[in-house]
Amino acid sequence: MQIVHEAPVSFRSSALRPGPLGLVTQAIREVWSRRRLIQYLVRADVKKKGSDTLLGNLWWVIDPLLQMVVYVVLFSIIFRRSQPDFPLFLFAAILPWKWFGSSIGDAVTSVVSQERLIKQIQFPKIVLPVASVAAGVVNFAFGQIVLLGLLLLMPGHLSIHVLWIPVIAAVQFLFTLALALLTSAVNVFYRDVGNLTRHLLLLWFYLSPALWSFERFADGQNNDVTRLGVAILRLNPFAILLDAYRTAIYGRVVTGADGSDTFTPGQVPDLLALGILALISLALVAGATLLFKRLEPAFAKVL
Amino acid sequence: MPTAVAAPALPPDDSDAARFARTTFPIDVRELGVQYSLRFTRKTTFRTSFARLLRPGGQRAFWALRNVSFRVRHGEALGVIGPNGAGKSTLLQAVAGIIQPSEGVVEVTGHISAMLHLQAGFDQDLSGRDNIMLAGALMGIDHRVMEEREGSIIDFADIGMHIDQPLKTFSMGMRARLGFAIATAVDPDILLLDEVVSTGDEVFRAKSKVRVHQIVSAAKAVVLVTHDMNWITEFCTRAILLEKGGIVAEGDPATIVAMHVERSEQRRREKEAETARIMATAPPKPSEA
Repeated sequence: MQIVHEAPVSFRSSALRPGPLGLVTQAIREVWSRRRLIQYLVRADVKKKGSDTLLGNLWWVIDPLLQMVVYVVLFSIIFRRSQPDFPLFLFAAILPWKWFGSSIGDAVTSVVSQERLIKQIQFPKIVLPVASVAAGVVNFAFGQIVLLGLLLLMPGHLSIHVLWIPVIAAVQFLFTLALALLTSAVNVFYRDVGNLTRHLLLLWFYLSPALWSFERFADGQNNDVTRLGVAILRLNPFAILLDAYRTAIYGRVVTGADGSDTFTPGQVPDLLALGILALISLALVAGATLLFKRLEPAFAKVL
Repeated sequence: MPTAVAAPALPPDDSDAARFARTTFPIDVRELGVQYSLRFTRKTTFRTSFARLLRPGGQRAFWALRNVSFRVRHGEALGVIGPNGAGKSTLLQAVAGIIQPSEGVVEVTGHISAMLHLQAGFDQDLSGRDNIMLAGALMGIDHRVMEEREGSIIDFADIGMHIDQPLKTFSMGMRARLGFAIATAVDPDILLLDEVVSTGDEVFRAKSKVRVHQIVSAAKAVVLVTHDMNWITEFCTRAILLEKGGIVAEGDPATIVAMHVERSEQRRREKEAETARIMATAPPKPSEA
């Protein structure tokens, strides 16, 4: 069989580097021409994660489910703070967060852990964090099965607006990709980034409306400090994303003046906020790609 | 067993193969310099980095290669020899495009297959078979081609039943054999080998010699780094002697090898004299005092 090469036949390497625009277009070309490699890395990753446990890739379904159960127990039994259909309320936010957290966790070490490959074969290193993020999508997709199950158990929430999930996920994907490119490149030079990331992710999770919602923030206290706090927390990209998921999947619960809950099924998420976040994420992806490509030539020397 | 290497197909003119055939020098290295920064090394942390910032001075960088120029023609097998730390591996990595020059130019025309790290393998948790496919994907070769050649790769490497076990269970010899089999099975225009040929058993060594010969006689370019001087004299059409990041001599393999042996011998004698001098200054053992 005649070999059809995805790698270029010739190269000329020197100390000269292309400008910012050249680097970004080069990165796009690399990812596109090596999509098969990315696909292969994703498959290998999926295979490896499934192979060393008894239940294999079933853990992708069990894992977010168990995490949800833990929080349900913690909040509804111990803290006595609950919502109607609390499991769905939590799951709608935990699932996307887990996608983000595990993608970033994998991406941070994606370049460093492939030290052997990088020193043996010339290939565009950008495929490594991209593959990590892409593997996360598979993970997220599996979680949708559980989500569907929960929605069928609590059919009052189900509406046509669950179709917004892919749109919200696309915005999340861009944002995740930007952070993945950034952290994976910087971690080559400072291994501290890997350790720091775990703790920052945990803090970020608690600051994001996953276990709580803005509607019931600070038990309805309405003073300047609370308003300022809410305003700051609203700037968090995951405030926008998780709020959007929850609005589309779970709907809204508003506590009226008499203390009774008014409940609505899934609704259209805040599209303006999502649109702005998408644009910002796109700019971040471009910036992170540029940084990655700038640092890439040094990887093989530093590792 | 016929290998794919021996039977090059007639390609159309705009193909990669035609571009390789047209070029005069598949490898053209001009005034290559590779500088390593000592500021960032493996496992740098914020702490060590700040510490270095606060204590400036000291060596910041060193040149692993400087002012290196050479060319490789079709059908040439270039041997690179030199003492440890001369920059031989760095040179191969630069030719492979893995590391970028700090100065000078490396121009390569043709698809490269490189086996640069002895017994490294690719992914320790994946099976041998998956590693073949991963290597193909990394080199940008269609998975159908790799599937087609998988059998001959496994045969050549003589892995047998083990191929479906994770790579981490492989012996050093098995990994080296698998790596060599993959690197040479993909019809490379340019083959780069770093110290792989001296490993493995007698039979495998013979097999790999035949295969490298096939690649050279198919008018492809080979660059070989080894400490095994027999390989240099037997195989290479030309050799360069690399010392302290620079080319000391270039020419006929036998001459270069003789020169290297002599210079190594001289260095050894100098070291011995140095050792003897240092030992002479050592105080006598307390028990003898």
